[in-house]
Amino acid sequence: MSIESIIGQYVTVTVAGAPRRIYFESAGQGRPVLCLHTAGADTRQWRHLMNDAEITAQNRLIAFDMPWHGKSLPPEGVQTEEYLLTTEAYIKTVLAVVDALGLDRPVLAGCSMGGRIALQLAALHADRFSGFIAIEASDFQPAWYDIDWFHRPDAHGGEMGAALVSANISPYAPEAERWNTLWMFMQSGPGVFRGDLSFYTRDDSLIARLPQIDTGQTPVHLIVGAYDLTCTPEDAKRTADAIPGATLAVMDELGHFPMSEHPAGFRPFFIDALARMPAGAAKAA
Amino acid sequence: MIETFRALQTQLEDRPHLLRLGRLFSETVLIEVEGQEVYLTFDKGHLVEIAEGPSRKTPWRFALRTDADALRQFWQSRPAPGFHDIFGLVKIGRGRIDGDILCLVKNLRFFKEVMALARAEGGAA
Repeated sequence: MSIESIIGQYVTVTVAGAPRRIYFESAGQGRPVLCLHTAGADTRQWRHLMNDAEITAQNRLIAFDMPWHGKSLPPEGVQTEEYLLTTEAYIKTVLAVVDALGLDRPVLAGCSMGGRIALQLAALHADRFSGFIAIEASDFQPAWYDIDWFHRPDAHGGEMGAALVSANISPYAPEAERWNTLWMFMQSGPGVFRGDLSFYTRDDSLIARLPQIDTGQTPVHLIVGAYDLTCTPEDAKRTADAIPGATLAVMDELGHFPMSEHPAGFRPFFIDALARMPAGAAKAA
Repeated sequence: MIETFRALQTQLEDRPHLLRLGRLFSETVLIEVEGQEVYLTFDKGHLVEIAEGPSRKTPWRFALRTDADALRQFWQSRPAPGFHDIFGLVKIGRGRIDGDILCLVKNLRFFKEVMALARAEGGAA
């Protein structure tokens, strides 16, 4: 028997004047690293890194389920509200969690839509973080599919979403982890993947903000997988080129969910990214 | 190509989980490779007919159009980026999907895994 060192807890924060009960997990000690999941998924995407003793020896990894995702319930009124994530709500939620958990300038690591919002925060709230790791992140991606496919009464949005995003998983991914990754999409609540994609495929406000990012104060490192059809290496390079001083690593054998689909393949790239971030916030409270 | 689809037809019968996934799928799909047409007719997940075109009178629900080299690469056991998925072929400009795409998306896992069955033999089209 082996009990993992990941601890799961709940915290209630206020976003847009209403409470949000947030589920979060943490593991390790030292420099705080806040990890953001992709659209249509949850904290479980970070399970391997949070169980990596070498990484958690000097880093406290924290990951949380966005409201509507995983074990974070949707807000009151879910029965009549159409879930459509916005940049503003996403930023407020991340900052509210940073405040609630008392995180002192954590490194922010986000994947896909989490990477997108990490870059928004790098442009708009860099003082709250010590550095940014943007995984499978780009300035903007218009949808090459109809996001309404994933929320309809005559089909299972989760199963369709999983079948679609499987296009973004590398053929090098171990079979078990491929299906663990897809399972989260299959479990996603009705309309949640669609609502995330609304943010991801319709808000292009980051493009104009990228040159504002000051990597002299907070480093920005992008990581992208060659098998990612949604955020291709070309998309990530275009994005990195627009941020003065940003760095980019391309992973030849990985896809859009690297920490979840192929943990052994992603590990060296994440360790390299952490090494590029400041050693740790020393600011006194 | 036709031989690959015939082999795939046999492999599908040996995959009970795919037949279960496709139990509501009874449609004809057009595969067009550089003008060569193949009509795959499914009945409750079984691939019951493989008919070569050209045909102007065979109705189909959706179509995948690509080129021979792209399909050969798609059927490699570990395809290069873009060739690893039917939507990847579209994304890199080597494929096109027409017709009732919603029907495809509702049956996407089934259809993609059926198309990928040819990879189990190690590739070669």
